[in-house]
Amino acid sequence: MSKKGRLAVIAGGIALGVLPMAFAHAAKPIKIGITAELGTIPGKAIANGAILAADQINAKGGVNGRKIKLIIEDDHLSTTDAIRSFQRMVKQDHAVAVVGTFVSEVALALEPWAARLHEPYLITGAAANELSEYVHADYKQRQYIFHAYLPAAYLAQAVCDASKQTLVDQFHMKTAVVMSEDAAWTKPLDAGYDKCLPKVGLKVLDNIRFAPNTSDFTPIYQKIESLHPNVIIAGWAHVGVQPTVQWAEQKVPIALAGINAQAGSSVFWKATNGATEGVITGSTSAPGVAITPKTLPFTDAYQKKFGISPAYTGYSTYDAIYALADAIGRAKSTKPLAIVDALDKTNMIGTQGRLVFQGPKSKFTHALKYGPKYVTGVAFQWQKGVQKCIWPLNLANAKPVFPSFVKLPAKS
Amino acid sequence: MLALQILIDGFAISTLFALGALGFTLIFGVSGVLNLAHGGLLVIAAMIAWYVGTSLGYGADWGALAGLAACVAAALLTYLGVVRPIERSRAIPARERELFVLTATLLWGVMIEEALSYAFTNSPVTVKPLIGGTIDLFGVSTPINELLIAAIAWLAMGGLWLLVNRTRIGKRLLAASINPRGLTLLGFELGTIYLIVWLVYGALAGIAGVLLGSFLGSGSGYIPGLTGSAFTIVVLGGLGSVSGTLIAAYIVGYIETVTAYLISPSLRDVPALILLVVVLYVRPQGLLGRR
Amino acid sequence: MLAGILVLLALLPLGANGYILGVLTTAFYFAVFAMSWDLLFGYAGEVNFGPTFLIGLGAYGAGMANALLHAPVPLAILIGAAAAVAGGVALAIPALRLSGPYLGLITLVAVLLLQQAIVIFAGVTGGEIGLSVPDVLSIDSGPNYEYALAFMAASGLVLTVIARSSLGMILQAAGQDRIAAAALGFNVTKHKIMAFAVSALFSGLAGAFLVFYLGTASVSAVVDIAIGVRVIIAAVLGGRRTIIGGAIGAIFLIVAGELLRPIGQLSTFVVALIALTVIVLFPDGLLGLLPARRGS
Repeated sequence: MSKKGRLAVIAGGIALGVLPMAFAHAAKPIKIGITAELGTIPGKAIANGAILAADQINAKGGVNGRKIKLIIEDDHLSTTDAIRSFQRMVKQDHAVAVVGTFVSEVALALEPWAARLHEPYLITGAAANELSEYVHADYKQRQYIFHAYLPAAYLAQAVCDASKQTLVDQFHMKTAVVMSEDAAWTKPLDAGYDKCLPKVGLKVLDNIRFAPNTSDFTPIYQKIESLHPNVIIAGWAHVGVQPTVQWAEQKVPIALAGINAQAGSSVFWKATNGATEGVITGSTSAPGVAITPKTLPFTDAYQKKFGISPAYTGYSTYDAIYALADAIGRAKSTKPLAIVDALDKTNMIGTQGRLVFQGPKSKFTHALKYGPKYVTGVAFQWQKGVQKCIWPLNLANAKPVFPSFVKLPAKS
Repeated sequence: MLALQILIDGFAISTLFALGALGFTLIFGVSGVLNLAHGGLLVIAAMIAWYVGTSLGYGADWGALAGLAACVAAALLTYLGVVRPIERSRAIPARERELFVLTATLLWGVMIEEALSYAFTNSPVTVKPLIGGTIDLFGVSTPINELLIAAIAWLAMGGLWLLVNRTRIGKRLLAASINPRGLTLLGFELGTIYLIVWLVYGALAGIAGVLLGSFLGSGSGYIPGLTGSAFTIVVLGGLGSVSGTLIAAYIVGYIETVTAYLISPSLRDVPALILLVVVLYVRPQGLLGRR
Repeated sequence: MLAGILVLLALLPLGANGYILGVLTTAFYFAVFAMSWDLLFGYAGEVNFGPTFLIGLGAYGAGMANALLHAPVPLAILIGAAAAVAGGVALAIPALRLSGPYLGLITLVAVLLLQQAIVIFAGVTGGEIGLSVPDVLSIDSGPNYEYALAFMAASGLVLTVIARSSLGMILQAAGQDRIAAAALGFNVTKHKIMAFAVSALFSGLAGAFLVFYLGTASVSAVVDIAIGVRVIIAAVLGGRRTIIGGAIGAIFLIVAGELLRPIGQLSTFVVALIALTVIVLFPDGLLGLLPARRGS
């Protein structure tokens, strides 16, 4: 920005009662760009997770003696805004890397720019398979992109693994209906469900996809009821409150599990007036569950600083900033390729598990490794207003309990 | 069984559509204003009802009242702050007033959306239903809330009919909608009439918003969709025609429900959109509209 | 004066940095959206709530031609523009029968149906996560800026000439009183279709250019109703029935949005508030505020 432009912004900022951040630093800080959707819960958590990580790193002296400075920009869920802000962060602010977005559409639009501008870019919440497949397709050009979260195919695998050890082994469930919103991220998710659910012993009776703007779910529940499955396996992120409330209000006698992303938020209980009692969802973490030694200190610090518990993107972004700082520290350089090489060698414990990025041979190049030794996420269930972890079994702090209107299969 | 299912379910959703669109058509019929911030008013009612009822914990009744009050206030603000200045402006030619009102209310809707998203984030919430539980209706398990919504909606619509046809204020409203100039000559203050209409509109939108919020949930992201469906239904029924709006609401509601049940839930809103195009093409003034 | 401003803008890359150029590049494409819309609304009196139907056709036509058929960028842009013109003519047909809010709704529905089609045919359109195009105009902000500026200036010139020609006069006459215009012997139908085609041509071209600037075509960038709303607001804010007002409004909206970035989430709110204030208090828009026009 030109001097005059900046003056105008600052003047505007003061006039509106918002003081600009301090802009003079003794040692040149390392700038990291954050692109997020600040009007949304997961978007806000991206910014919060990054702020918390940067503050902690800076309090311990920064990276190679340099402080981290975040440039947080709201992309308003718009690809146009995101691309403009990405270009600005790279060319104007000279950010050494960009982190963020939970919207696949935005992430996919930013990927070509990360490749063109040779800018390390870590995606921390979007889940489409395409994000890491894109890197795989042309590794040399696109190696700057890291999917610091799990692709939808792994999310499906996690749901299957969790369902096997809880619903099948503990409750003898045998049949399921997949019910997903019609969106890009659920296509690979549904493909994954259809493949792995039968393998764990849940026969898929039907796969129902519905428009994300569906307001009345009665027809869908009626149809599912007529098939008499034991469990509904969900793939929901755009919707959540509404189908959950109607499930409870209409006393649909079928267990509700899978991925119900909005249920991961601590405010979901209030948003649904408690209708979420008994709902199971796959998630990154659950309150009070120490996936790694870093998990609980993180959630406590987050709660203390922001007054709410972190959404899943809070964990992934916090981990990504640490991974990035670690890589820059090892590389002793902020040159793009040096950072990429160091990130490739990442092997550290984060809040979600052990963080390792997959190599160019994997279909999901530069996505996080999935598995019991790496990152799996958890499954939790809402029980009396609290999210109780039910899987992995070694971390579980409760057994699944279903509301009285849910009919469970007879124990054979 | 399936037919009965569709009948009951379609009825509930259609009634909500009707109630949601009613205020929109009323305000157009009387004052010629198409309020594109309509969805914003509905969501204000729902969010405030949720905030007071659930978040602050005062219960469903107080929440609903607070939502209703907030919506009436917002409707008044829309009229006094946005619509009236345009109608009274000398700089805007009468011919273009309609478009200015459209643009201004559109902007006002954007402002409401942004403000709500700032205050409550854009993640949706459900308003606590006034009565919980389900009831067996001819073998179809139906939430009592759904029946209550239908009852309140019909009461509100009946009340509106009585107000318009059986009271003095109503007769003035009717007169105002037919010939605004004549009314001023008779010595009635047109401004007062409009103010009353906006109050009634605010109350209708408030009731609709709270009920919608308890059945379909609500959030700042719902605003464009709600405005859009009210607009669709009202134009389909014929702008300004209350009975046309009711008929159109039931047609759209049932088409959507039948599509969701019999074809695919992911194509739910497509047939209604196509029907709208066809109807407007064959009968541009809508089902019961006057030209 | 206008020429002076253009020359000044053309020289801007010498002094300004990439960020300012980036903001203005988007603003210039938006300016063409708004000017095309003004031709339909300001002159022909057509309430078109769906500018993004035309923009989206141009953008996706061009993006798909490049990504799927490997058409070179200039050819892809022409294909996109052709798709938009076809869409414009299709919109003109209902416009011959409908007016006011009724037409407004039809155009709105056109956008919704286009959006549905993009999602349903996700295999070729990229669906809701968007379509990456292999080629871009340039990765440097300087050339991108000059392309956009030249395109905006040329579009503005052509649109202004058309609007002030007999076509513009006839459109205005027909917009006010169709029957009278027809009685005077003008072929209203032909002129209306022309107006839609011209508006679609420039909307589509701008949409196509924008795709090759962004490197991606996505619903939220070129089809979403919110984008259409911004176009309409820009045209009315700048000053309707002026063509150039659309450009001023669009640039104002985007630049104001950028300047207000420090207040974060509320920036959209404040921009909407400013636009609302201008529209209510100064119906002739920003252009009407210029001292030069006061007298005329």
